[in-house]
Amino acid sequence: MSNRLRCAFAAPLVAAVLLAGTASAQEYPTRPITLIVPAPPGGGTDVFARQIAEAVEPFLKQKVIVDNRAGGGGTVGTTVITAAQPDGYTLGFIWNSPLTTSPHSLAVSYTPDSYASVMSIGYSSYVLCTAPSFPASTAQELVDQIKANPGKFTYGNDGLGGTMQLAAERVFAKLGAKVRPVPFGGAGETARNFLGGHVTFYGGSLPPILPHAAAGKAKCLLLTSAGKNPALPQAAGLDDIGLGAEETVLWWGLIAPAKTPPAILAKLEKAFMEAASTEKFKEAMDKQGATQRVLGAKETGALIRSELAALGAVAKSIGIERKGQ
Amino acid sequence: MDSLGYLMDGFAVALTWRNLLLCFVGCLWGTAVGVLPGLGPLAGMALLLPLTFKLDPTGAVIMLAGIFNGAMYGGSTTSILMRIPGEAASVVTCIDGYEMAKRGRAGAALTIAAVGSFVGGTISIIGLMAVGPLLADAMLSVGPAAEFVLMLTALLVVSAVSSSPPVKTLAMIVLGLALGTVGLDQLTAWPRFTFGSLDLTDGLNFVALSIGLFGVSEILLNLDEATPVVPKAPRLRDMLPTAEEIREAAPAVLRGSGIGFLFGLVPGVSHIISTFVSYAVEKKISKTPERFGHGAVAGVAGPETANNATTGASMIPLLVLGIPAIPATAILLSALLIHGVQPGPLLMSEHPQVFWGLIASLYLGNAILVVLNLPLVGIFVSLLRTPMGVLAPLVLVICLIGVYSLKASSLDLMILVAAGVVGYLLRKFSYDVAPLLLAFVLGDRMELSFRRALTISDGDYWVFVQGPAARVFIAVLLLIGTLQLAAMLLGWRRTGAAAP
Repeated sequence: MSNRLRCAFAAPLVAAVLLAGTASAQEYPTRPITLIVPAPPGGGTDVFARQIAEAVEPFLKQKVIVDNRAGGGGTVGTTVITAAQPDGYTLGFIWNSPLTTSPHSLAVSYTPDSYASVMSIGYSSYVLCTAPSFPASTAQELVDQIKANPGKFTYGNDGLGGTMQLAAERVFAKLGAKVRPVPFGGAGETARNFLGGHVTFYGGSLPPILPHAAAGKAKCLLLTSAGKNPALPQAAGLDDIGLGAEETVLWWGLIAPAKTPPAILAKLEKAFMEAASTEKFKEAMDKQGATQRVLGAKETGALIRSELAALGAVAKSIGIERKGQ
Repeated sequence: MDSLGYLMDGFAVALTWRNLLLCFVGCLWGTAVGVLPGLGPLAGMALLLPLTFKLDPTGAVIMLAGIFNGAMYGGSTTSILMRIPGEAASVVTCIDGYEMAKRGRAGAALTIAAVGSFVGGTISIIGLMAVGPLLADAMLSVGPAAEFVLMLTALLVVSAVSSSPPVKTLAMIVLGLALGTVGLDQLTAWPRFTFGSLDLTDGLNFVALSIGLFGVSEILLNLDEATPVVPKAPRLRDMLPTAEEIREAAPAVLRGSGIGFLFGLVPGVSHIISTFVSYAVEKKISKTPERFGHGAVAGVAGPETANNATTGASMIPLLVLGIPAIPATAILLSALLIHGVQPGPLLMSEHPQVFWGLIASLYLGNAILVVLNLPLVGIFVSLLRTPMGVLAPLVLVICLIGVYSLKASSLDLMILVAAGVVGYLLRKFSYDVAPLLLAFVLGDRMELSFRRALTISDGDYWVFVQGPAARVFIAVLLLIGTLQLAAMLLGWRRTGAAAP
């Protein structure tokens, strides 16, 4: 309610500002901000977007409105964000796939120069799990099994050329192992086929498999993050098998159109970082099995570029790269 | 405590004034989005999802399940009155429901749909309660190979009962399968027939396609006629089904409940397949199959019951395994996850109030919906008193808004209009567009299952007859195929006789 009141008070101000010309960065923001989410309502990215939008309002003293623009694995909405007015009133809350994964298989019109990275909120690891009867009970034994049986095992994943699959292939490539990928429509579908014994390994995000790991129906052995995850203490991180540098996780962050004024970007970075660092937001991330790790503009930008390059190399090595990136 | 005791506790949870109100709001909103073309249960639930952040997990799922149920009820309304499928599961209802409306039986059709939905919904909740956990294990044995065989069977069953001649039906199926290939190929990450459009990487929009093929084409067909045959607004005493209509509908409702429940266990597009299969079964066993496509009561009662029976069954994989089998239950899952409740094998013991509260609210929701929908029948039917010159443009605008509201994509609007024109031409030459839509829905998944199965088996085709589920489905496929062939050879084939 208080937001709506604030909106009502802001309305005459907005009109005045529009008449007077563009607002300066000191006054920004003087009207509600649109946060484009390139995912459909209801998914993990959408949920975080709505929660961060609510959390950041007290810091920006403006309403933040979520606008879902789903399609093309996030590339449609990301294109909309990069083409928006660079005035700080249209921002994008994204997960990493449309930025660092899709460009390898789809002809997207944007590059890392088309947008300014503002900050990122944290990540969620992918995990590889086996049936309880599989002859391995540690990450190292799993690696040994995979290496000893090239091409014998199958792993379900979220779609070929998707972040999850590239994350797994990145590790397999370093190990010199071959596991056959079986793409499914999402981690839920993968979990169903894994539990039914149709694929050897589950590959996907944590939430769908956690209850089954707890019930003893799955042994989760290896994460795609460098570190371990408290929700799955028995699963090793990539650090534990000496491949910490090959970390690929699902992460979320904020981007803005490329030519957004630096003063506005700085203001946004500060406000969103503060909002994402609150205890309440940490709890919200915990509930979805995600880990809070608030990064600023510089670190987020560097992460995007290094991940884009690393996944590009993986995409090339497994033959799904479409154009010279 | 036995499950009856738990259920009583569940009712105690669901009957608190707050949860009852949430259930009612959900049902009301669900009915509204179901009635509006374009907006289906998925969009309806997604739109209100942010509201549930403020509720407790039980209240959240009660409201969302109400929307899901309500949309399944409401979807039939525009199908019957205007031949516009309110959501995907009501495509089949367009066929005979609209024909009934043309004959002045709109009230009866809507009443039958509402009561059938109530019976189907209730039976499936009982099924969910009684055999849910057992069926969940059976569900897991359905892998890609079995899924492929099942979809092939569904396609065969439906093609056998289309009202067009076999050649035309086959043409429509091939066209549907071809249209289904548009989009990003999940197994190679290659975009197919997208012409560089990122929008098209998701494939053609089903909602736009179905509303165009059925609804827009109907409006265009009406423009053809000097005096269009529009549904008659019935008198008040015609609102209720006649005794004969009830006799015809009752067994169809029971069969629809069974079919809907069984197919609800099949992941993916269960609510659409179940309606098509129910329609096919009704036509096959009817003593008067020639009446199908011309206002057969069973052709409305069966599918409308089946799509609601699917709702209860589709909750099984979500609640028992924590795995959403269809997109609408994926929204329920995310509502639970936001509150830190993880559905799965441990849900019943860890959060009994969520589990049993939801079950009880599903019963209540069904009762609320039938009470809500029956009086609405009169109001909806009176819409038909609007002159065609006013109604047609209005409906067209609602269709455009409905489709645009899904993804804010102008491409979807073009698909809608193009599908309308193509649908008009096809129907002019008496092609039945229903098989096209089913083939479109199944085609994409069928291809994926086929290739996934072969990926898993490393190219070994025997995978399709391995495993219990695949074997059962293969047996059914062979049985139906043989019967069909035998009937054709012996000249018993009654289908096709109904071709206009």
